[in-house]
This record gives sequence, C-alpha cells and structure tokens, in this order.
Amino acid sequence: MTDYPLSSSPARTGRILRRLLAATAVAGMLAASPALAQDAAIDADAVIRIGSLYEPQNLDNTAGAGQGISEAFNGNVYEALFQLTDSGDVVENLATGYEISEDGLTYTITLQPGVTFHSGDPLTSADVKFSIERVTAETSQSSRRNSLANIESIETPDDETVVITLATRSISLPYNLSYVWIVNDAATELTANADGTGPYRLDAWRRGSSLSLTPFENYWGEAPSNGGVVFQYFTDATALNNALLTNAVDIITAVQSPDSLAQFLDNPDFTVTEGQSTTKLLLAYNDRIEPFNNVTVRKALARAVNDEQLLQSIWGEYGTLIGSFVPPTDPWYVDLVDVDAYDPESARELLAEAGYPDGFSFTIDTPNYDPHPIVAQFLQNALAEVGVTVDINIITANEWYTKIYQAQDFEATLQEHVNHRDIVFYGNPNFYWGYDNPDVTRLIQEAEQSATVEEQTEKLAEANRIIAEDAASNWLYLYPQIVVSTASVSGYPINGLNSQFYAYDIEKRAE
Amino acid sequence: MTTIADIPQAKPSRRGSLTLRVGLALLGIHLVLGLLTVFWTPYDPAAMAGGRLSPPSLAHWAGTDRLGRDLMTQIMIGSRIALMVGAGAVVIGALIGVTLGLLAAFATRFLDDVLAAALDILIAFPTLLLAMLVVAASESASLGTAIVALGIALSAIVARLTRILAKRVLAQDYITAARTSGTSWPMVVFKHILPNIWPTLSVNFALQFGLAVIAEASLSYLGLGAPPPNASWGRLLQEAQGTVYTAPLGAILPGIALVILVIGMNFLADGLRDRADPMRGAAR
Repeated sequence: MTDYPLSSSPARTGRILRRLLAATAVAGMLAASPALAQDAAIDADAVIRIGSLYEPQNLDNTAGAGQGISEAFNGNVYEALFQLTDSGDVVENLATGYEISEDGLTYTITLQPGVTFHSGDPLTSADVKFSIERVTAETSQSSRRNSLANIESIETPDDETVVITLATRSISLPYNLSYVWIVNDAATELTANADGTGPYRLDAWRRGSSLSLTPFENYWGEAPSNGGVVFQYFTDATALNNALLTNAVDIITAVQSPDSLAQFLDNPDFTVTEGQSTTKLLLAYNDRIEPFNNVTVRKALARAVNDEQLLQSIWGEYGTLIGSFVPPTDPWYVDLVDVDAYDPESARELLAEAGYPDGFSFTIDTPNYDPHPIVAQFLQNALAEVGVTVDINIITANEWYTKIYQAQDFEATLQEHVNHRDIVFYGNPNFYWGYDNPDVTRLIQEAEQSATVEEQTEKLAEANRIIAEDAASNWLYLYPQIVVSTASVSGYPINGLNSQFYAYDIEKRAE
Repeated sequence: MTTIADIPQAKPSRRGSLTLRVGLALLGIHLVLGLLTVFWTPYDPAAMAGGRLSPPSLAHWAGTDRLGRDLMTQIMIGSRIALMVGAGAVVIGALIGVTLGLLAAFATRFLDDVLAAALDILIAFPTLLLAMLVVAASESASLGTAIVALGIALSAIVARLTRILAKRVLAQDYITAARTSGTSWPMVVFKHILPNIWPTLSVNFALQFGLAVIAEASLSYLGLGAPPPNASWGRLLQEAQGTVYTAPLGAILPGIALVILVIGMNFLADGLRDRADPMRGAAR
C-alpha cells in the first residue's frame, strides 16, 4: 500500500512509539539497576531479529513504500528535524532549536552540528530544503503532503540554518516535520538505497525476506544498544507466531488476534506487552449520498450496533471502546462512548423518523483480510435486526485504494485507520468519506492556526464532539497494540505510534 | 451399429461396484446434509446464539465461531453450497466444453488446429488461476460468478477430451454408412457420437466435480468466492485460521467435510470408469 493515511495491510495495528511502562518495567528490572549482574549480561553485539508482516514496497516513503518503511527506517536509518517519540511527544532531533516570528509565519530552525550522512557527506541546510521539497513535490505520495502544503518558501541563509515561511499559521509544523526524512541531497535511487543520518545504515534488503541494518560508526548521537537489527518479513500471522515460538525472531511488532496470544501468555520465556493504540476500526459511510447524508440515519445505524459485543467477539478481553475517531491518547480526547450507544429500539424509531420505517439496503465494501469479513457479518446481523439489509462485497487492499480512496465510488466500507492525530481528516470535505460539516471544517482550520496548544486542543475537542453527535462514521472500537518478545530482549517501543519501531534502545541478554 | 453398451461380455468387477457404492455413500452424506438445510438447520445461520468459540456441547455439536454462530449449521450450509458449485460448474463446463469439442472435431483442418492450440493454451493455465481471472473481470464476487468462472475454467479440459473422443468415433465406418444412408449431421451427433463418448465423459465430469469443489473452497479462502453470509467451507477455513490454536475444530471440520466430498466424487468416478470399461476392471 502507499503511504496514504490508513493501513491496508492485514489487520495492521498502530505501533505507537512510546517506550512503555511495562516494557520499561521489565527493562527496568534488568537494566535500570545497572550495577547488578544483569547489566554485564547484555550482549552489545547481539543482532535483534524483528518479525513483521509489513514488508515495504520500496525504500522511499514519498514513493508509496507503505507502512513497513516507517517501521524499519523512521528514527533508525533516517532522522527528521523533530522526532515523534513512542509516548507521542514531539522532541527536537536534527534541529537543536527553533524560533517563531511574532506573526507565527516564519520558523527559523538551527541544525545539529557535526552530523554526517551514511555516505560521509555532512548535513547542511540544503539537504533539509531538498528533503522537505521531496515531500511537498507534485509527484510525492506522502500522506503528509497536504499538511505541509502551506509552506510558502524554504531559505537557507547558512549551512546550519533553515528558514521556513508559511502562508498561514500552523501549530502542528514541528509535528508534521517529524514525518519528513532528512535525506542527503546528493542521494539517488532512494527506492532501493538509503542515505540518512540515523544510528543505523542499510546493510541489505532481500526482497520478500528481510531487511538488515548495521550500526553507523560515525553517528552523531548515542550509539545503539545492540549490534544491528534484521527485520524478517512474513505474509502470514501464524507463521510469524511460529517464528517467535521457535526462536527464529526475537520480537513481533504487533500481534493480530487474542487467540495467538494464548501461546505466549503464562510462558516465562516470552514477554507480552500491551501499549497504547491509535488504530481505530470504523464503518465509514459515503456521507455524500443518500441515505447516509442524513444525520438521523447515521445515528440510527450507530445505535443498532452493539460495539461491546463486537469487540468481545474479535478481541476477547482486549481493545477499547471509542465513541468517535479520537483515541484516548490524543490531547483532544473526550469520552463519547455514550453518544448513540447501543439501543436497537430507538434505532428503529430514528429510521422511521428519517423516512425509512421499512429500512433500506446498502453494500459494505469489505477488505478481504481479517478481521474485516467477520466484522462485516456481525454488522450484517446487527443491522438486519433493525430492518436494514447489508450486502457484503469483498475486495482486496488494492481495490480498496482505487475504488474507495481514489474514486470514492462506494456506499459504505470497513477500514482501520492507524494514524495518530488524524481527526483532521474530518475537516477535509474531499476525503473519501465525504463528511462535510462547515463548522467542523472551520474548527479544524482554526485549530491549526491557533497560537497556543490549549486553544488548539479546545477547538479540536469541540470538533470531536460535533463529529460524534453527527455520527459522521460508525466507530466500532480501538484495536489493542500488543508486542510480544522473547524474555531476553527489552527496551523496544510498545506503542508503535504511526507504525514506527525505534530499534536503537533494544537490548538482548546473552544466552 | 456398435456402442460401448452393446459389448456386455464382462460383468462389472466387485471392486468396481464397491468403489461406486462407497463413492455414492460419501456423496450421499453431503446430499442429505445439503438438502436438509433447504428446510431446516440446527440454528439460524446468522444467529449469534452461543459464546465466543464455545467448544462442542449438546447445544452446539461442533462448537461456535468467533461471533457465537453454530459451526454445525455453517458446515451443513457449506455442503449445500459445495454441491451447488460442483453441479453448476460441471453443467456449465460440459455445455461449453462439449460444444467446443464437437465443433473442433467437425471443423476443417485449419479451424481444428486453431481450436486445438487454443484449448492447449487454456489447459496450460491452472484451473484456479483461470477462475480467478474470470472473477476479477466481473463486477463483484458472488456465488453465481464463482460457478460460472469455474465452469469456464473446467470447459477447456472437457472440450479437449470431447474432441479426441468424437474424432475417434467419426473415423468409424458406421458413421460413413449412416451419412450415406441420409442421416443428417445433427442426428449423427445425437444418435452416434454422444452415446458413444458419454461413458468416458461422465467419468471425467465426476472428477471435474471434485476439482470444482476444491477450487471454490480456494476461491472463497482468498475472498473471491461466494460472499458472506454464504458459508462456503473455504471461507470457514479462512476465518478459523487465526484461531487454529485455541479452537482447532473450526478449521478441521470444514476440511474434513471437503475431503469427504472430494474423495467420494473420486471413488464415484473410479466406479463409473470400471463400469464403462469393464475390460479394464476385469484385467486388474
């Protein structure tokens, strides 16, 4: 899949990069009491084998490489001016500081000195300009291209300074810049090569099998805690689980079903960690067309579905219920689970009120990978209870992209959205679901132009309430984010925010 | 004139009749289960009546799936769908294949060569791949498109077989005799050719039936077959894949049902062949 802001790989869940409590707790026991024997047992040369289902299509995140490239390269091979940490904070990385002009339109960013690319070239402001323009270029397929579209000009007064001028204020600029890899401007063939400033350099990419990274000797920051990482790619979740069971990999970046967890829970050889997820499963309607352009119909359908029973069916005791598109980790989260809660009786009344006393029928375009087909059947049964007939049309991830995301030719669809801070999609009436509420569009624009984070948060929380009251889509649940590793490794990110998986702090005890 | 049925020298061997009976019995299991679902199923197939992945119990003989639906009901409906797909695909494959095969047999040398080459190319593609191409070309997947797709995919094999068999019959003296005495070509086809090649073709149809059932399960497994709520065995297998460690029956039972039907059809084909070609049966 391309880097559009959702996932289409099998049941991907968001990996938020937050160094997590439980993992650090484990790491803490092992490593945070440094004087103990545990510390001596850490093998600094160990190569960490990471098992993943998300092999990148190519190695360039502006060329539709998919979420797999963020997992392997963000923060590991390429760095950005700012870094989105696993806990969701934006911190300076290749930037050492920045100044914002009085009107909020000019950002003067100072670069970290003494940074070199893997090829040996020094980092200069020209590389930064080149890198940002790669993302905003006409041909770029980056999901953040629109967010950065308000950059008017980039100037490079000297080698260590970059001046970015905006058309309108943008409080999320540092956040959005955390998606922009800083790439050597002399580099070519980036779809098959890499030249970044990160703690690892690309060693080899064996298509269909693995991607290996080795520590970069001249890294400007702290050297990695391990001797390199290898991403091993699998196409089947069961095969991936078996690889971990047989010690062919050290870590699985995201477990896909509660049933495969049974093998790892209560087994002292493995560590199971549940992080904070941002992956939302939703039934998105095409809000432009009848009957989904009618708020009452959408509210009725929201009340017809027992989200709690659905979540329990798919994830057992894992996962979280959500009342809108915003997960609890976003600052503008409001608990909206009770808005249009399960109530089939009032669903029938609302349908009658909207002019559909006998219901209606529609088709759900359903991606062919788990859990979508089974969720679609659940919805088919639930909506039949209130007189609405659902047809299920199974499609591939590619068809989803062309038919729904690009052509917007659909009635309703199931999809999981992995990204962090993605409520802004409801402010874009041209987005695939076609939700168009001028109040929400205005609030989201104003939020971006806010002078303070408080103002931004307040506006987005307000927009959040409105989309929930409008039942803009049917938000079913928040996936759990579960990382499993062998007990000998620690220090990995557990939230996998935006699919990132920072590998440099992972430690492995000698066997 | 001579048809194969007119050569009754050897009695069908015991082995022949045994395989035929076993085949019929295995097929019968599915016929009974499948027909039963037309009138009655243990539960409403959509009812989420049990708990998540309940083990087998008196209430749910085969347990339930993740949504709490009764697995026995799903497998029984799977029988009906498998039979419909097998029968439908074979009928379509037979209609297209026999027509094309006869055309090729009667055609001028040039047209025959072209048709034969085209059929050879089609046969070189795996049945499943052909079926996937046909499904991909249609608007959306449904039970109907799956049946048509499989029928088309199977027709190439039937056509080639028909062509060879019909050519062999056409070379016989009695065809010349029939033509000389004024029998029209359509009469020749229906009175002489089809009755003569039918026994061999029917064996082939039984084999194709099994192939079609497996191919449909594969299509459904890939999400290209009958869409939910049709409980195809392939889709049941796919849905159970993620829970194979905690609830293995969900994957094992549809698999067993599939194996019983396909083995049954193969036995049936074996039995039919022995009956159609008694010399071969006796020679063993």
